[in-house]
Amino acid sequence: MITLSGTRGRKNTLVGLSALALVSVIAACGSASGGGSTPAASATASPCASNTVLSATCDTKTQAAVTLTGAGANSIEPFFETVFYGYNQKNSQTTVNYSPAGSSVGVSDIQQGTVNFGDSEIPMTSSQLAAATGGTVLQIPVDLGGVAISYNVPGAPANLKLDGSTLAGIFDGSITNWDSPLIAAVSGVSNLPNLAIKAVHRADASGPGYDLDQYLIDTAPAWVTAIGTSTPSRTWPLATVGIGEQLNTGVATYVSQTSGSVGFVEYGYALQNGFVNAAILDAAGAYVAPTEASIALAGAQATSLSSTNFNVVNETGAGVYPLANFSWTLVYQKQSETTTAIALGKLLDWVVTTGQQDAAALGYAPLPANVASLAQKTILEIEGSTGTPLFSS
Amino acid sequence: MSSDTTGVLPREGVAVSGVRAALLQKRTRLGEHAYTVVRWGGAAVFAAVVVALLISVAGSSSQALTRSGVGFLWSGTWNPAAGEYGAGILVVGTLLTTAVAMVIVVPIGLGTAAFLSELAPGWLAGPLSTLIGLLAAVPSIVVGLWGLIVLTPIFANQVEPFLASMPLLGWLFRGEAYGPSVLLASVVLAVMTLPTMVALSRTALAAVPVADREAALALGATRWQAVRKAVIPAARSGIQAAVTLAVGRAMGESIAVAMVIGNRPALPTSLTAPGATLGSAIVNQFAEASPGLGTSSVIALGAVLLLLTVAVNAGGQALLRSGGGHRAGTAGALR
Amino acid sequence: MTVASALSRRDLVRAAAQRSLTRRRITGRLAQALCAVAAVASVAPLVALLYYTISRGAQVLSWSFLVNAPTPPGIPGGGISTAITGSAEIVGLALVIAIPIALLAALFLFERSGRLAAALRFSADVLAGVPSIIIGIFAYALLVLPLHAFSNLAAAFALAVLMLPIMIRADEEAMRTIALDLWEAGIALGARRGRVARSVVLRGALPDLVTGNLLAIARAVGETAPLLFTLATPVAAMTLLIYTDGTQAFPIAQETAWGTALVLLAFVLLLSVAAKIAAWRISRRAR
Repeated sequence: MITLSGTRGRKNTLVGLSALALVSVIAACGSASGGGSTPAASATASPCASNTVLSATCDTKTQAAVTLTGAGANSIEPFFETVFYGYNQKNSQTTVNYSPAGSSVGVSDIQQGTVNFGDSEIPMTSSQLAAATGGTVLQIPVDLGGVAISYNVPGAPANLKLDGSTLAGIFDGSITNWDSPLIAAVSGVSNLPNLAIKAVHRADASGPGYDLDQYLIDTAPAWVTAIGTSTPSRTWPLATVGIGEQLNTGVATYVSQTSGSVGFVEYGYALQNGFVNAAILDAAGAYVAPTEASIALAGAQATSLSSTNFNVVNETGAGVYPLANFSWTLVYQKQSETTTAIALGKLLDWVVTTGQQDAAALGYAPLPANVASLAQKTILEIEGSTGTPLFSS
Repeated sequence: MSSDTTGVLPREGVAVSGVRAALLQKRTRLGEHAYTVVRWGGAAVFAAVVVALLISVAGSSSQALTRSGVGFLWSGTWNPAAGEYGAGILVVGTLLTTAVAMVIVVPIGLGTAAFLSELAPGWLAGPLSTLIGLLAAVPSIVVGLWGLIVLTPIFANQVEPFLASMPLLGWLFRGEAYGPSVLLASVVLAVMTLPTMVALSRTALAAVPVADREAALALGATRWQAVRKAVIPAARSGIQAAVTLAVGRAMGESIAVAMVIGNRPALPTSLTAPGATLGSAIVNQFAEASPGLGTSSVIALGAVLLLLTVAVNAGGQALLRSGGGHRAGTAGALR
Repeated sequence: MTVASALSRRDLVRAAAQRSLTRRRITGRLAQALCAVAAVASVAPLVALLYYTISRGAQVLSWSFLVNAPTPPGIPGGGISTAITGSAEIVGLALVIAIPIALLAALFLFERSGRLAAALRFSADVLAGVPSIIIGIFAYALLVLPLHAFSNLAAAFALAVLMLPIMIRADEEAMRTIALDLWEAGIALGARRGRVARSVVLRGALPDLVTGNLLAIARAVGETAPLLFTLATPVAAMTLLIYTDGTQAFPIAQETAWGTALVLLAFVLLLSVAAKIAAWRISRRAR
């Protein structure tokens, strides 16, 4: 038994406690100085707490510390992580936590008001909007991604040309071998090996699955017959054909190690892992491979983008990649707390403007100008507790 | 009782000194009541948690169940894209993977436990069992990724073709070798439930009094016979608890299974065909299911799994009761 | 019976016994060999997993990896300090919640028989089969939603619920196999129930209680799904970080995930060893 009897014991305790206190103080100093060492904005910048000009910088030293929480899609996590980190470097008083538990969780979290913002790969439906407890939900497009069709066929060229009906045949099991004449006819490559096609789809519900489903519905009548509906779904509709793997990682791992396999992944994933991707037939009749540029062009075609008109799959235009989609951030229009609201608005403005510079390196395309201004216009609709718009542009 | 023999286990000596200490304390009504209240409290808290969970699951799944009715349990189509939510195939998949996993885990786990408890030298048994227990700590995502990256190619290229080529049993493993399959998922489940089986079985075996072993040996049994006839039967309830917990874990595992089972919501035609379980379906759907009917259906799967676990546990207990009943250690061996 | 026939009969019996002994010895040796093989088969997956985890995670492992805060992929100098401290806090809280309840419930099952105890035992077995994702959703509904905030407490609660059934069953079995007779003796001699529970049952069964509890703790530490619904950000716990980083495209993120997995295993190993040593010392000291 340890007994702290006598002065010796008491002295040890005192030393221990003061050492602990010293360490905590040093640690606290260290973490506080970590963010604020960057040169502050110009001395004439107004305090952040009351600065409601959306894109203006404010004097961060006077801002109260704010922690914002968000939840939603797993796929946007790398982008959010990078952008929020960069924002925190410039504005140390704002900390942002994001939980990548899935679009569904993000939607229900915002419905219940558990988070400051949600994120979903598909905008909320009208019934979901009606179930939101805090009033109107604003939906802001924050990034633009694409879906790559990656394959592992030894001897096949890069950017193999494929169209909707061939893809439908691959994924509904009617085309079973790579040397099928149907593939040769479309791709123009007649010497593909005699290798069984192992089609892998997303076992979990996903944005990429939704996009490919939408594309196949638009371009292949056989697909509509096979799945029995013409409404796209985030859950892959023909799960009884081929293999289903979890998350982008599952599909990517299977494709990279299995000869004859073909699957769909986020373009960023394909880029980082050096996958070989198919060139897909677009609405203009050309075969387009996924690149940052072709995805950006797809987004730019969305001239009347809104949360009810969000589909950018198979857009018409030159060099447009047919498999692209936006990711949508969800915030309540009416914010009850002004400090939080200002921090939130400015954060989102950063995300859709300066933050887009991080997009390309991560495999996304930066928001096209028209979409970025739509996003900013939506942010301007955020209201304070008084019910009037909080920000001016 | 063997508390005065030289062969006593250390813990019995400890307990005896504890009995001595206990006797020196006066038995007061207040103290007696305080303990009973606290003990009831602990049990009540646990019961409250279970009830709260059941209510929560039932409530969240009510939307889906009222829509589909009881048919949800055995309806054969699971196709959320088409709005069809039937759990029948998933139930079959769950039972199949769990059964195959137990076929692997019970003999190997029990054998390992016997090795650690009876046959291994002392310096080896302790560290080895700590290491095996470490396997329980490996996160399911890590086991799943390892299964996907390391095991899948081995199974697709070597194991599954080999099994399919075996003379009689090969029929069980026929079909195209994708890699991800019911078999691979069962193996992964076996890996994850092995530590439970080994650790709890070992505890049960080690707790059998030395006297039982000595009695068997004195009657002329070989070492192995003593283990098989005297020790294992005496440890029966502990081994049963181990199997129950292993089965429970195997039935509920979701992430690791989803990564290696191939996620095909159809009745598997062979063990090497892809399949789907309740757990894998839950983890696949939940994150992106549409709030409302979609989420409710996923939680309804959880309700089905709960019912299934109840059924399996009840069935297991009935089986054991018909085979001899629940007996505790020494007292059982003496009967 | 003549002497000769008795002697020949004795020889016959002896020969039969000898044959039986040889046969039993051979089967015995075979069975022992199979058990050794089984033990090897049990260790093999761990070795394979460890090998793979080390080969992927060792590159990131360093002192700064342990003490630095996380940074996004592409920004060097990141570590997993917040995840380590977060996991430690969450697991600690979960243990504070779960261990007392499990011990008390196990004592309840151990001391009482009858339908109530049987029902409680049965519900523990059933709870052990609930997928961790459902428990995560339950904790979300109970603690995150009403308070409108993610928290370590909600995560700890989820893990505690996960651990409880395993702990209760393992605890009860440990008590039942070690201390039943001694408990009966103590009660029969007139000692207070609580005292008997404390000094006889818990003290006596301590090493096996520790083993059973460690198993539950190891399982809970490795769970991801419950944390997904109760924590605000992946860097708040190691398993969540493994899940999020391990499923990203960036090689550095994936290596971070495997490095974190290594740290997690070391964490559990340390915990196991420490707990076993503590239990051993407490049992020894009591003599």
